Amino acid sequence: MLKYSIRRLLGMIPMLILISIVVFSLAKLMPGDSLSGEIDPLNTDPQYIAEMREKLGYNDPLPVQYVNWISGFVQGEFGKSTRFQIPVFDLIMEKIPNTLLLGITALIITYIMAFLMGMYSGRRPYTLGDNAIAGFNYVMLAIPSFVAAVFAIYIFAFQLNWFPFAGSVDILAEQGSFEYYLSRMHHVLLPAIVLGAMSTASYTQFLRNDIIENSRKDFVRTARAKGTPMKKIYNVHILRNSIIPLVTFLGFDFAALIGGAIITETIFTYPGIGQLFLESVTSRDYPTLMALTMLLSFLTLFGNLLADILYGVVDPRIRLD
Amino acid sequence: MASSTTITQQKKPERSLSPWQIARRKFIRNKLAMISSFFIVLVTLMSLSAPFLAPVLSPLPDISKVNIGAMSIEPNGEHLLGTDKSGRDVLTRLFYGGRISLLVGFSATLIVITLGTAVGALAGFFGGFIDSILMRFTDFVLNFPFLVFVIVLNTILYGIVDGLWVLIMVIGALSWGGVARLVRSKVLAEKENEYILAALSIGCSPFKVITKHLLPNVVSTIIVQGTLIFATMIVIESALSYLGFGVPQATPSWGNMLSSANEPDVLQGKPWIWMPPAIIITLTILSINFIGEGLKDALNPKSLR
Repeated sequence: MLKYSIRRLLGMIPMLILISIVVFSLAKLMPGDSLSGEIDPLNTDPQYIAEMREKLGYNDPLPVQYVNWISGFVQGEFGKSTRFQIPVFDLIMEKIPNTLLLGITALIITYIMAFLMGMYSGRRPYTLGDNAIAGFNYVMLAIPSFVAAVFAIYIFAFQLNWFPFAGSVDILAEQGSFEYYLSRMHHVLLPAIVLGAMSTASYTQFLRNDIIENSRKDFVRTARAKGTPMKKIYNVHILRNSIIPLVTFLGFDFAALIGGAIITETIFTYPGIGQLFLESVTSRDYPTLMALTMLLSFLTLFGNLLADILYGVVDPRIRLD
Repeated sequence: MASSTTITQQKKPERSLSPWQIARRKFIRNKLAMISSFFIVLVTLMSLSAPFLAPVLSPLPDISKVNIGAMSIEPNGEHLLGTDKSGRDVLTRLFYGGRISLLVGFSATLIVITLGTAVGALAGFFGGFIDSILMRFTDFVLNFPFLVFVIVLNTILYGIVDGLWVLIMVIGALSWGGVARLVRSKVLAEKENEYILAALSIGCSPFKVITKHLLPNVVSTIIVQGTLIFATMIVIESALSYLGFGVPQATPSWGNMLSSANEPDVLQGKPWIWMPPAIIITLTILSINFIGEGLKDALNPKSLR
């Protein structure tokens, strides 16, 4: 297993290099100085630009520029944001807690919803309740997340006034106080529900099918023969076996949450990585854009790798080497 | 008399149904899929006939003209779905928007299916070196954070090529990975059959074996997958347009119309502007998915219904 994981990790390196080359080429195709953000875009004096270009090494051959950029990048030198005039690294660090909070809350919501629905459906397959859950999940899967988000804001924020419709925290709340954290949770809940509901369907169906399959196995028959109550069989014996494969979904969720966060954060004007990304496109803040593209690509790659490795860890029958 | 009819019946043995006929019967019996098909046909026809329908249904058939005198009118007898903030008729824009959304969805699906099938079939059929090169490339495409790259590429190409086709090409070029993997796995299983060996041994060229013998046996999978991808592509188009990175703002598409919901006063107080596109997007996606599921059932020889 360890051997396999190491091999997969090593196999990731060429992919990372390829992606970084693509990002670098994209950056070079963009107008202006898109990597360092050191050249003042408002200063149009040709002599100033020429001097800065020479100083930043933009007249070097492309491979040299690439190596300089990538070696800086691994050390956390992401350049300077042209919009905020602060290092991109600090900018990203400032937004990451918000995105993490949103992502983790969304995951928890997905797990709770999927567990409740999946366990109910798995215990009573082909009943009215099971079909209703399947129907609900089908609709949730088909509705585009941004349409769901718009409807959620309209209904829960504007009509019912249950949740705030924008931002990540009440401006009046004092930082560090109990109200501050409460307000943060209150702000994150609605986007998290929308984001979490997207992936609930696949979890639920998987759990349902796995429970049905497991309930026909020999260990269940043995437990029943010994007189174990059905409730205990389902909640302890079967569930324990059915939970494990769900772990593999975590890796794929990683990638899905990244894409989902861009849309959800923008609609809810929630200040996280996704919103920063879109704002950096609209305000032509190329250094931020490029750093984020690199970062998000890396996270997606990492998520896919995690899913693959977990798959092998969880199910010893799968030996990919 | 009775005996003569039995004789004629015996003379004409009933022909067994072809696989396509069986599939068609199964599909027609599937109510949900049939209702969905009618809905999609209706939406397509309305979108196609938008230039003729618009002058009949609305007093303001021009979708690009701003009408200061008719801004934000609630739905009434004259404007069946009201007008938006620039005084354009919502129903008319909905019809014209359907043209763009369906066109983008359909063209992108064509690109995805063509690229995916070609790569998957070549990799699966030849195997070995070609397979590993092509599949590495597929992994590479699949590992991109899709939305991120579409937005970045769109920003770069914007203004160089016409906006609509940039979008179609970019989303098409980045989404074929899944199809390629699927087709490859199907081809791998199919090429072990003896008729492929027979075809090769009588001297058929690889191209002919792939197009004449392999692909017809994989085509049902591709059709089902294509339907589901069509739905995904419409979602991607409207999501990108909603965020402002898709179809240029001046052209009405469902996503562009929905993006008016970004303004809090429209979202809160003028639901007739954003609700129609939201509802029609959802219904279209649901219908296409139901059709896809119906096709999957109908084309699967193992499902007996």
